[in-house]
Amino acid sequence: MKNNSRYVLFFILPAILMLLIFVVYPVARTVILSFLDSDGQFVGFKNYSKVISSREVFDPAGFSRGFPLGALVHNLLWIAIHLPLTIILGLSLSVLLKNVKGGSFIKSIIFLGMVMPMIVGGVMINFIFDRNLGIVNGVLSLFGVQGKTWTAHPDTALLSLIFGSVWLWTGFSVVLYSAGLETIPKDYYEAAQLDGASSWKIFTKITVPLLRPITVVVTTMTLLWELKVFDIVYVATMGGPGGASNVLALQMYTYAFRAFDFNRSAVVAVILTLSTLAVSLSLVRSVRDEQP
Amino acid sequence: MSRWIVLSLVIVATLLGATTLTVIGPWSGPEMDKFMPVLQEFEKQTGIKIDYKIYRAEDLANLLPAQFAAKKAPGDVIFMWASFIREYGQKGHILPLTGVINEANYLPGSLNQVKVGKELYGTAYTGKVKPGFWYRKSFFEKNKLQPPTTWEEFIALLEKIKKIPGIKAPIASGDGVGWPLSDVTEHFLITFGGPQLQLDLIEGNIRWDSNIVMNAMTKLTSILEKGYFGEPTEWTLVLKQWWNGDYGLYFMGSWITGMVDNPDDLGVFALPGAKGVVFGADYAFVPKYTQYPEEAKKLIAWLSGPQGQAVQVKQGGHIATAVGIDLSTYPPVDREVAKIIQGVTALDDLDDSIGGEFQPAFWDQLKLLWVQPSRVNDVIKVLQEKAPKR
Repeated sequence: MKNNSRYVLFFILPAILMLLIFVVYPVARTVILSFLDSDGQFVGFKNYSKVISSREVFDPAGFSRGFPLGALVHNLLWIAIHLPLTIILGLSLSVLLKNVKGGSFIKSIIFLGMVMPMIVGGVMINFIFDRNLGIVNGVLSLFGVQGKTWTAHPDTALLSLIFGSVWLWTGFSVVLYSAGLETIPKDYYEAAQLDGASSWKIFTKITVPLLRPITVVVTTMTLLWELKVFDIVYVATMGGPGGASNVLALQMYTYAFRAFDFNRSAVVAVILTLSTLAVSLSLVRSVRDEQP
Repeated sequence: MSRWIVLSLVIVATLLGATTLTVIGPWSGPEMDKFMPVLQEFEKQTGIKIDYKIYRAEDLANLLPAQFAAKKAPGDVIFMWASFIREYGQKGHILPLTGVINEANYLPGSLNQVKVGKELYGTAYTGKVKPGFWYRKSFFEKNKLQPPTTWEEFIALLEKIKKIPGIKAPIASGDGVGWPLSDVTEHFLITFGGPQLQLDLIEGNIRWDSNIVMNAMTKLTSILEKGYFGEPTEWTLVLKQWWNGDYGLYFMGSWITGMVDNPDDLGVFALPGAKGVVFGADYAFVPKYTQYPEEAKKLIAWLSGPQGQAVQVKQGGHIATAVGIDLSTYPPVDREVAKIIQGVTALDDLDDSIGGEFQPAFWDQLKLLWVQPSRVNDVIKVLQEKAPKR
């Protein structure tokens, strides 16, 4: 037994070392950095208050003036709009396409958004919402509505990115929900139909509750993605115009690699890490509770 | 047999004795093809051989400090960023060129970027310029339009273009990262605030909310509010739209001549009254560790002088920094640009010079200004926050 433990230690040591060097140390260093000034002096929560009170992160004046509202609020808006839309669309499409001929093909097309690198997705969003080339304005013009480049205006830039990312991300929830639907025994549906349950009742009383574990995974993964969203914004609008579509991850990048202020950047990194940690822990807890 | 040995030794000795300078530059492909005649002409006139090597400035930025530390250099004449030349000149790794180049023979201001105090550490070769608003001569002829000579004429021109059927807006607005909008803004700042304003803003000697800046910005917002500028659109896409007649004017750098089907159809004018122009030169220096300092200086003098630059500008796409080059040397389209910059001050790009957090903020705020000019005060407030302070 003693020999076995020695072997175990021998084999996991490289992995532990790698984790310590490449994960634990950078995380710890980032947390420490967030409490220091540029000269390496401890400043307590000064950096935190500076970041949170900066107009780039939270701009309360925007509530009366219009966008920008600050990266933090933009991320929250992203979650508030993108998350329910992704879940509702993913669930509806997977249920609707379940028994449709060619449904798998349509689902594959929907999933293309996920296959595409998000950088390309950002470029595509720019085109979709362009005044001259965009499909959005093409559709609107059929109804006589005068279009504009939606990503170029502060009041519509963030919303354009959010709706564009719904298109990119829905494939993920469709695939998971489709897989989840396959695990629900057909007997449940047949029994419900024999009892005269309506389609809506079957959906709300059988499908939705039995897909709960899938919903937890979709919600968690989508939340994590929404918190760290960067690439789409960077490519499509660079957080503009005037910061109207800025998000926390982009602000972290701006602090670090444009302002070379690694302390403020570390603060945003810590905030993002804590947020994602909270979401991840709730997923772990939920999965653990589900286990018999 | 012995005769052959002697002959071989003579040849080897001759080859070893011939000076070969290594020139490092960023140009490859067609750009290199246009640069090579300059070097070949130098070889012909001096008998000094030249070996041209291509290195990107980004790669040199990593390579040169290590080489300098080892008291070595990969080349005898190296093209590099001005800020790098200044920094390593002060550290003693670059040969001063103060006696080699006479500043009076250059476009005013073009050597400022490679000068520290009275010491000159590099030279400004030819460069690209951001001269003003480009138009298609055929478009102007067809619509009986004339380049303006006063601000009032400029406004009248915009109004005329706006009324032309099928026109989306008189001026195309290039978007993307944001620099096309900043180039236009700088042109307004220089025209209505003078060349010194650009320098003061770079150095942080003047506030963005000062009267002189606000005056220039008001001129800009006045035409934004009237819808004379189109909606910001990706700059290469809008270039095609402008070329196809969707817009009448497009503000762009002189590299535009290589991006259109027929450069001979291009015309350009600056805002009336502009006394300065943003000029981006290619800078070169001689490292202290060259084996051939005198020959390298000779080459620098050739590259900096009217003779060498004339060979380059003749190829098209480049504007000389040296004075004394006959306008007829330029291809027709470059000639117009060269005419515009004669007698005006060459200035550094505002946001490139400041860099840091200011640059993306400047670009981003201008995108906001373009679609909501009424928020000019918000824009100015942010720019003042991000601007360098003395």
